[in-house]
Amino acid sequence: MIGRSEHGRRVLDLAREEAARVGHRYLGPEHLLLGILRDGGSGAARVLQAQGVGLEAARAALGRLAGRGVVPGSRPSDAELLGTLGIDLEAIRRDTEQTFGRKALGWAIREATRARRGGIGRVPRTPLESPPVLATQALYLASQHAKTLSRGAVSPELLLLGVITDIQTPWPRCMSNPWVRQLHASVGLPEGYRGAAGALLAALGVDLDELHDAVSAELRVAVP
Amino acid sequence: MGEAASSEVTAVAAATSSQDPEVGLAAVAALRGLVEVLEALQVENARAKGWSWQAIAAKLGVTKQAVHHKYAGGRFRLRRESR
Repeated sequence: MIGRSEHGRRVLDLAREEAARVGHRYLGPEHLLLGILRDGGSGAARVLQAQGVGLEAARAALGRLAGRGVVPGSRPSDAELLGTLGIDLEAIRRDTEQTFGRKALGWAIREATRARRGGIGRVPRTPLESPPVLATQALYLASQHAKTLSRGAVSPELLLLGVITDIQTPWPRCMSNPWVRQLHASVGLPEGYRGAAGALLAALGVDLDELHDAVSAELRVAVP
Repeated sequence: MGEAASSEVTAVAAATSSQDPEVGLAAVAALRGLVEVLEALQVENARAKGWSWQAIAAKLGVTKQAVHHKYAGGRFRLRRESR
């Protein structure tokens, strides 16, 4: 795996922010597109803008997809949900980290969500971890592109290329086991969710092949 | 959508915590996720301090087999092997 460039990491952080902004409790490929547009300073954003995709238009299109049930609508965060029960999630996070250390807390989160024999006490996710990343294939493909193009790091352009190829590639079978389905349901995603970036681009009237060619041109290479 | 919608959700959630199953069930699910992590932390801590499975189980109010089945074979086993 090839790591992300500083710019790529910034885009990813903005994608997380965009997801939280619309009340989505996961990070999908569709949010990566919003993150690229929100950042605005990359070749990837220029390519999208040249195709007539702006940040506001993309946000509105994602809102329409939520109306159609392709992606979930706004959902309260875990901190807000626990707040209704009078529990201060941030205080618990702070106290446990101070008492047991960050490492032990990370281990306990893995322990609570790991696949045990019989699945006793297993939870799909915990409020103490950040929202699940459901754009892993897009990120993986982006790093694969970085490898084939012999780039040292994953830039926003490669992220966009990863999202495009993710739309064209079926998700692997490991993404449809009962635990993944449980995780998807726990963040309100409809059954059979395989990323909504394709639906988002289609709603914006973008031709995928054209976009692919434009990104390849931006990277100044032909990508098979 | 956005900050306005999310604060609206908070207000709704606060007003109807026990009445709306949508919010109530999600809150319970979040609570369970939190409990499982805190339990794993405490069990690990107790084992590190030399507590027996029996003593841990008694405090948790379950059988020693239950707590052993749930937590043995994770980090504890690795730790024993590495010693």
